[in-house]
Amino acid sequence: MWIPIQINENSAEPLYHQIETQLRSLIVSGQIDEGTLLPSIREFAGSLNCSVITVRRVYQDLENEGLLRTRQGTGTFVASVGAGERDEYRRTVVQEAIEVAVDKGISVQYGEDELKQLFLKILKKKYSDPEGGGKSK
Amino acid sequence: MTELTEQKIAIEFAGAMKRGRRKPIGPLNLRIPQGYVVALVGPNGSGKSTMMNLMLDTLHPDEGSISWYGGAPSKGLPLELRQRIGYVPENPALEENFMTAEMAAKFRARWYPTWDQERYESLITRFEVPRHERLNRMSKGERRKFEIAAVLAARPKLLLLDEPSSGLDPFAWKDMIDELRASLDEEDVTIVLSTHIVEEVKRLADFIVLVHQGQIVGMAEKDALFGSWKEIWVRGAQQNELNGIPGVLTCKEDGPSIMKLVVSDNVEFEEWFERERAKIQIIKSRSLELEEILQLWIQGHQPGQTN
Repeated sequence: MWIPIQINENSAEPLYHQIETQLRSLIVSGQIDEGTLLPSIREFAGSLNCSVITVRRVYQDLENEGLLRTRQGTGTFVASVGAGERDEYRRTVVQEAIEVAVDKGISVQYGEDELKQLFLKILKKKYSDPEGGGKSK
Repeated sequence: MTELTEQKIAIEFAGAMKRGRRKPIGPLNLRIPQGYVVALVGPNGSGKSTMMNLMLDTLHPDEGSISWYGGAPSKGLPLELRQRIGYVPENPALEENFMTAEMAAKFRARWYPTWDQERYESLITRFEVPRHERLNRMSKGERRKFEIAAVLAARPKLLLLDEPSSGLDPFAWKDMIDELRASLDEEDVTIVLSTHIVEEVKRLADFIVLVHQGQIVGMAEKDALFGSWKEIWVRGAQQNELNGIPGVLTCKEDGPSIMKLVVSDNVEFEEWFERERAKIQIIKSRSLELEEILQLWIQGHQPGQTN
């Protein structure tokens, strides 16, 4: 099956990390169903133009996290994700994004109150506008 | 840089050296892991084709040794293994010049026990190789396509490809990439290819071996190699203070109060930047192109592992 992973060649983030983060998010968010057979390591590496070493590492990491399981001779499958994990994952993703935004504010000497006001303003705009709300980029 | 301790080795160079009319090649020490695609890259005349011939046992090292699939180095290349090696030479063999594609395929089929006629037919059709044309009357690209098809039809477990894409048009090139990838679906197929085509390295290789002036500069896993260094532009720093920073390889002025740096993608540099970030801004950054990476590698910088 085709896995929608977008690699940014110019990102400072290591390749395996980009792939791992995106695959994890696809699994935990439920965009790839439990029990789905993932592409073979060679096939996946081919479609991403990366080395099989990188894909093997990603599969191994996610298997250690309990998100994937490998059956000898058949391949790598998506394991079940608990509701607790899913909530935890959602919180982490949002928290990290907010931290980045706050860091940006600090780097241009935004004050705490100033930042809070701006945040509330954006919050209000996004949640009252049905088109722009909720969607991540 | 990658754990190859438990990894089976397809070919091992142990201090292999070949003296030629020009400069000597070697001593070479290299282990080609089984089941991977290894790209040999390096300037013209650096020794890549000599390495190919050493791996084929058509050249014998003057010193040191080559061994195949864990065999004893003194034994050379056993026949049953030789029959499982597919080789696309840089210049096609003269012996087949007066044969048509059909005749040459028949000839090869006798030599390779694993020859797959069906696969040959489908490849020749896909590559649009004229079947009844003499090989030396074909265009360079057609001949190349025949060579690749005939090699893949033998279902080799080791493919040695010396600049396989030279002369191919972009469509045939893409077909070749697809077919090489398909051949990797079979278990434990190893490919060694020498190439100057960056896209080929990007699409096929797992490991990159850099050869320069008859020496192996190193072998690196592709993605770690591509992530080793980056170029960044910073504002607010002086040349003299940047020179001492860990991880800064080169540094030069690039506009008013802007410095252009090549840095290792490592923790030390990140930490330094973290401490200085009130004063210094990164304006932009980009990853390096393969040729820039190879240049730094030749200059003696060691590609790091990204973690």
